[in-house]
Amino acid sequence: MTTAILEARGLTKSYGNQVVVDHLDLSCHRGTVLGLLGPNGAGKTTTLRMLYGFVPPDDGSIHYSGKPFDENRAEIKRSIGVCTQEDSLDYDFTVAQNLLIYASYFRPRVADLEGRVAELLERFDLTAYADASPRVLSGGFVRRLLIARSIVHRPSILFLDEPTTGLDPSARLDVWELIDSMRAEGLAIVLTTHYMDEAERLSDELLVIHEGRSVAHGEPHHVIDTVLGDHVIIVPRGEPAREEIAAWLHARGAEQVATVLGELRVPVSKEDLVELGARFTDATWQVRPPNLDDLFIALARRNGRFE
Amino acid sequence: MSGLRSLTAVADWRSWAVFRRNALVFLRNWRTAVIPPAMEPVFFFVAFGIGFGGYIDDIAYRGVDINYATYVAAGLIAYTGFGTPYYEALYSAYVRMFYQKTWDGILATQVELPSVVWGEILWGAVRGMVNISIVSLVITVFDLLGVVDVNVRFLVLMPLLGFIAGCAFASFALIFTAIVPAIDHMNYPVFLIGWPLSLVSNTFFPIEPQSPVLWGLMQLNPVYQLAECARGLLVLGNPGTHLIGLLGSTALLLIPSTLLSVRLTRLRVLGD
Repeated sequence: MTTAILEARGLTKSYGNQVVVDHLDLSCHRGTVLGLLGPNGAGKTTTLRMLYGFVPPDDGSIHYSGKPFDENRAEIKRSIGVCTQEDSLDYDFTVAQNLLIYASYFRPRVADLEGRVAELLERFDLTAYADASPRVLSGGFVRRLLIARSIVHRPSILFLDEPTTGLDPSARLDVWELIDSMRAEGLAIVLTTHYMDEAERLSDELLVIHEGRSVAHGEPHHVIDTVLGDHVIIVPRGEPAREEIAAWLHARGAEQVATVLGELRVPVSKEDLVELGARFTDATWQVRPPNLDDLFIALARRNGRFE
Repeated sequence: MSGLRSLTAVADWRSWAVFRRNALVFLRNWRTAVIPPAMEPVFFFVAFGIGFGGYIDDIAYRGVDINYATYVAAGLIAYTGFGTPYYEALYSAYVRMFYQKTWDGILATQVELPSVVWGEILWGAVRGMVNISIVSLVITVFDLLGVVDVNVRFLVLMPLLGFIAGCAFASFALIFTAIVPAIDHMNYPVFLIGWPLSLVSNTFFPIEPQSPVLWGLMQLNPVYQLAECARGLLVLGNPGTHLIGLLGSTALLLIPSTLLSVRLTRLRVLGD
C-alpha cells in the first residue's frame, strides 16, 4: 500500500440552508490519481476548494501525511500544488517569469530555482516560449504552463480541476501524458473532470459524488459495477418494440431508463438480459459493458437534469 | 483572533511577496507610469498658481501670509498622497482581481487572503510615495523659479507622510473593490467619495467650519491631516498637532477598513 498523502473524513459544507458537501470521505495516495466525478452542482469544486484551503469545512477533518491541515496550514500548503480550471496566469510576465514569480510565493524557497524552471520549460515543451508573453500560447500550451506552474515548488500532491476542458483532442492527450508521467514520479493527484474517458483512463480510484454525497468509491470498473450493474442495452430509435421493452424493464425495477437521441439506454443485470432475450425474440438491440457515460447520465437523471 | 491575524499579516513575508509582484510589474512600465505625477502638478501650478493665483490675494496661514501657489503646493502633496493609493487600489487592484485573476493564482499558493489585501495596501501606499516624490521634485523646481516659497528640505519627509496615510486610503478603497459588481461602478467611490474628499480637505482652498461637528469630522479626515501636516512643514517647518492628527486619523481609518476589506474580499474571491 502506498503512503496516504491526503485523508479527509466527514467533510461537510453548507451555503445558507443548502448542504453542498455532506459527510464526504476520501483519500489519495502517493503515485495515484483520485478522480472526483459527478454532475454539475454535485459538490466537486467545493470539495476541492476545502481540500486545498480556499474555504474551511463546516465539519470534518483534513489530514496531509497524517498532519491536521488546520493546525499545520502553512507547512502543508507548501506541499500542495493547485491547478485551477480558470486561467490565472500572470499576463504581466513572460512564460518563464510566470514560473519564477509563482515560486516566490512559497517558503522555504525552491531549491535551485533557475534549474527547476529550465527543467519544467523543457519537460512541458515550453522552452521556445520562455521569453514570450503567455498571450501567444495556444489553449493546450496555456494548460501546460498552468500545470508546470502548479508544480514548480515540487509539491507532493497536485489538485487538477478539469485540466483538459476546452482543449482539442491532441492537446488533451498531451495533458494526459503529463498527468501520467507525474503520477509515475510519485505525485499524488486529485483530478476532477467531466470527461468520462479521461476519468476512466487516468484514475486509479474514482469517487463519484452526487448531491454532495459519495455514491460510489473505488477502482473505475468497481464503481461502474456498483452503480450500474453488468450490462447496458441500447435499443435503437426504429425498434417497434422499444416502448414495450422500456415498460417491461421499468416494471422490473430498472430506474435508469435513459433516452439519448431516440435510443433507449438501460443498465441491466445478467438475469434481466437473459429474460429480455427470451421475451422479445424478434426485437433488436445492442449490448455493451457500462461505462462512465452511463454512470453520468444515470446520476444526472437522479438529479433531475436529464429528462 | 482572525481579525488580529488580518492586521498582523502586514509583517508576513507573503504580503511582501504580493507587494514585490506588483513592484516588478511597475518597474517594467515605470516610464509611462511617472508621466501623470510629473505633469499634473505642472498643470496645477501653471493654471492655479500662476494663472488663477494672480487674481487671489495672499492667504493667511497660521500667522504667515503665503501666496496661493504655495498653499496649493501642500495641497498637491495631499491630493497625490490620497489619489494615488486610492485609485491604484480601486482600478488596478480590481483589474488584477477580476479580469486578470491574478489573486486566484496567488491564493493557490502559500499566500493567504489577508496577505493579498496587505500586498495591495502596501503597494498602493508605495505608489503614493513614488508619486509624491515626483511631485516634490516639481515643487522644488517651482521653488527655484520663485513661483512657490517652501522649506525645500522638508520635502524629503513628504513621501513618508504619504506612505503612512496611503495605507489607510488604499485599504479604504479595497472595500469598494471587493463589492462593486463591475468596473463601471467605480464611478461611485470615485465621484461620490474620492473627488469630494480630495477637495474639501484644505487641499486647494481653505475650509474653516463653524460647526463643532463638522470641525470634528474634519479632524478625522486623513486627507485634511495630510494636507495640513505637509503645509505646516513646508511653510513653517512645523506640522503642529497635525502629525498626531495624521497618525490618529490614519489608524482610525486603516484598522476597520483593513478588517472589512479582508472580510469582503474573502466573500468576493473565495465565496466564503
